[in-house]
Amino acid sequence: MKKKLSEMDYAEQGTVTGIEKDLQKRVAGMGIRVGKKLRMVTRQPIKGPVDVVVEGAETSLGLDMAGKIVVEVTK
Amino acid sequence: MKLSTGERWDLIDKISKETVTFGAYKHTLKDAIGELTVKPMTGIPVAIAIMYGFWSVFGSFAGFFTDGFFVRLFDAYWLPWLQEVFPGQGGWIYAIMVDAGGIESGEFVLSSNCLESFGVLTSGLFVAIGVVLPAIIIFYLMLALLEDIGYMPRLAVLLDTVLHRVGLHGYAIVPTILSLGCNVPGVTATRILETKKQRFIMMTLLAIFIPCGAQIGIMQDVVPDLMGWILLYLIIGYFVFGYILNKIVPGKAPEFLIDVPPYRRPLLSNIGKKVGGRVKGFFVVAIPFVLLGCAIVGVLYQLGVIRFLGDALAPVFVGWFGVPKETAGPLIAAFLRKDLAVAQLSAITMTPYQMITAVVLVSIYFPCVATFAMMLKEGWKELLGALAVLSVVVFTYGGLIHLIGILLGVA
Amino acid sequence: MKILLMGHPNVGKSVFFNRLTGANVTESNYPGTTVDYTKGWMKIEGEDVEIVDVPGTFSLDPKDKAEEVAVAMLHESRDAKVIAVIDASKIERGLYLAMEIIEEGYPIVIALNMRDVAEDKNIVIDADRLERILGIPVVSTVAIAGEGIKELVSRLKEAKPVNVDDIIANAANTSDTESAADAGGAA
Ligand SMILES: Nc1nc2c(ncn2[C@@H]2O[C@H](COP(=O)(O)OP(=O)(O)OP(=O)(O)O)[C@@H](O)[C@H]2O)c(=O)[nH]1
Ligand SMILES: [Mg+2]
Repeated sequence: MKKKLSEMDYAEQGTVTGIEKDLQKRVAGMGIRVGKKLRMVTRQPIKGPVDVVVEGAETSLGLDMAGKIVVEVTK
Repeated sequence: MKLSTGERWDLIDKISKETVTFGAYKHTLKDAIGELTVKPMTGIPVAIAIMYGFWSVFGSFAGFFTDGFFVRLFDAYWLPWLQEVFPGQGGWIYAIMVDAGGIESGEFVLSSNCLESFGVLTSGLFVAIGVVLPAIIIFYLMLALLEDIGYMPRLAVLLDTVLHRVGLHGYAIVPTILSLGCNVPGVTATRILETKKQRFIMMTLLAIFIPCGAQIGIMQDVVPDLMGWILLYLIIGYFVFGYILNKIVPGKAPEFLIDVPPYRRPLLSNIGKKVGGRVKGFFVVAIPFVLLGCAIVGVLYQLGVIRFLGDALAPVFVGWFGVPKETAGPLIAAFLRKDLAVAQLSAITMTPYQMITAVVLVSIYFPCVATFAMMLKEGWKELLGALAVLSVVVFTYGGLIHLIGILLGVA
Repeated sequence: MKILLMGHPNVGKSVFFNRLTGANVTESNYPGTTVDYTKGWMKIEGEDVEIVDVPGTFSLDPKDKAEEVAVAMLHESRDAKVIAVIDASKIERGLYLAMEIIEEGYPIVIALNMRDVAEDKNIVIDADRLERILGIPVVSTVAIAGEGIKELVSRLKEAKPVNVDDIIANAANTSDTESAADAGGAA
C-alpha cells in the first residue's frame, strides 16, 4: 500500500518509491532516496516533524517535506 | 566529469553492494532510549525533567560555593582587609578600587559587603570569581554533558512545533541553549539556520531575550526570589516578539530537516577539555571586562556623570519604566557586562517589582560588548536591524511590564 | 601543502583535527558543532602541512551558512588535498559527498571513521575492495581512540584525483569477476 511519509503510522516500515523533484537533492544527503527502506519512529503532535530511520540513521523532517515523499508500506 | 544525483546513487549502490554487508541489526538499549526520548508521550516529560534537573543542580551548586564560601571569604576577610590597608580612604582612587562607601547622617561610612562597595577589587572580583565563576563552571559542565550525550537534536525535534510559530524551527534550540552559556557562541551558531530571515530573527531574539550564564548566576545569587518572574518575562518576550518578527520580516522560514545522532557515552577527557577551555576563556575575556566595567562606572560616578544621566533621564526611568533613576549606573555597566550590572542593581534600594523590571531591562536593553562585536562580524546590516528592533522592544516591553505592575497594584 | 577535513556533520572531523594538530576545537555529539573553519599545522615527514577543520556539509549544495562556509572553503582551495571523513555506519550517504568531491577533481583519501559504531551495528566494510574500486586510499578509523590515524597520515601522499569513468568501470569489473567467486563461495 502506498502512503505519503507524512501519513505513515508509528512503527510502520516501507520502501521509498517517490520523492518530489525539488526535494530530492535536499534529502539525498540524509540518505533518503527512492528504493531505500525506512521505518517510522514517531510523529510530533500539532503538525510537528516526523522522525524516521533510514539505514540505521535517524532523521527528523518537517511535515510538509514528508508529504512530498511516497512510501510503499510493507508492515 | 560530474554525475547527476540519480547516476551518483546508482554508482554508490553498486559499490556498496560489492563492499558492504549489512548484518542483522540488533536493537540496543541506546536505540530504545533514543526513541523514548523523541516520542512525544515519553519525550516531553523527560525533557521537562532534564530541564528541571539542570536548573536545580545549577542553583544548588552555585549557591553552595557562593553563599557557603565566597561570600564569607570576600565580606568577612577580603573587604575589611582591603578597606584597612588600601591607602587614601575617602579619596577617589580608593572609591573606585575598594569602596565608594556611603554617606550616613553626613558622615562617610564604609560598606559592609562586596555588592555595595562598588570597588574594582571588591565588587569586581567578588562578582567575577565569587558568583559568576561557580555558576559558569556548573553550567558548562552540564551543557557539555547534554552536548556529548547527544540530547540536543532530540530536544530540537520535540520543540520544533513551538519554534515554528516564531519563524524558526527546532534546531534554533542549539543557538538558544548555547546563548544561555554565553551569547557570543550563540550568535555564531545561528549559521546552522537556513535563511537570512531565520538567522536575523534568531540573532535578534538571542541578543534581546536570552540572559547569559554569568547573568543567570548573579541573578540566582542576588534576587533568587524574583528569578521566576524575570525568566517568565524574558520567555514571554522571546515568543511574543518572535511571533511579531516572523510576521514582519520578509523571507522564507523553511522546515526542519536534521540528523538525529545516536546517544553516546560522553568522554570524560572531552568534557574536561571543553569545560576547561570555556572557563579559561572566561578568565581571559570576561574577568577583565568585569573589572573594566567596574572601573568605568566608578569613574563616571566620581565625575557625577551618572547622577547627571539619572536626573536627565528620570522621566523615562521613573515615569515610563517605573524604576529608580539610579538604574542609570547599572545600565551603563550592562554594556560591558550584564552580570556586573545586575550586581550593581542589587545594591540600589527599590521594591521587588521595580527590581524585576530593572533586571529585565538590563537583560533586554543592549547586547554586551562581546556579543555586539560578534554580531557585527556576522553582518552589519543584521546588527543594525537587530538594534532597531531592540530599541522598539525596550520601550514597548519595558513600558508594558510597568503597566502590568500598575494593574496588579505592585508597581 | 593544505589538507581539508571534509564530511557530513557529526562524523568526527573535529576529533581528527584536534588529534592531528593538537588544537582544542569543540567536539560535540550534534550536527553543526563547527560552523566556521579553523586552521592548524602539523608536520608530515618533515614538511609543514596546513590542516583545515571545515564545517560539516551534507552535500556541495549548501543549505545553510555553515555549509556555505564549507563549500566555499573547498572551492577556494583548488590545490588542496581532501580527507573525506565518513561515518562508517552510514557509509552510503558518506560516499555520496565523497563522490561529489572526487567529481570536482580533488585528490582525496577516505577515512572510514566510527568503525566501532559500524561493528556494533553488524556492518562489515571491505575497505581494501572499496579502495580498489575508488582508486584512492581508504582507511578504517576510530578517531576518538586514535586508531588508524597514523595510517591515514602516512597514506596522504597517495591521494590523487581519479576519473569517475574509472570508478564506474572498476565497479562494473569487480561485480563481473568477483560475483562469480562470491556465488561459488556461498554455494
Ligand atoms: N564511537 C565513536 N565516536 C566518535 C568517533 N569519532 C568521533 N566520535 C564522536 O562523534 C561526535 C562528533 O565528533 P566531532 O568531531 O564533533 O564531529 P564533526 O565532524 O566535527 O561535526 P561538525 O562540527 O558538526 O561538522 C563526538 O561526540 C565524538 O566524540 C569514533 O570513531 N567512534
Ligand atoms: Mg566539528
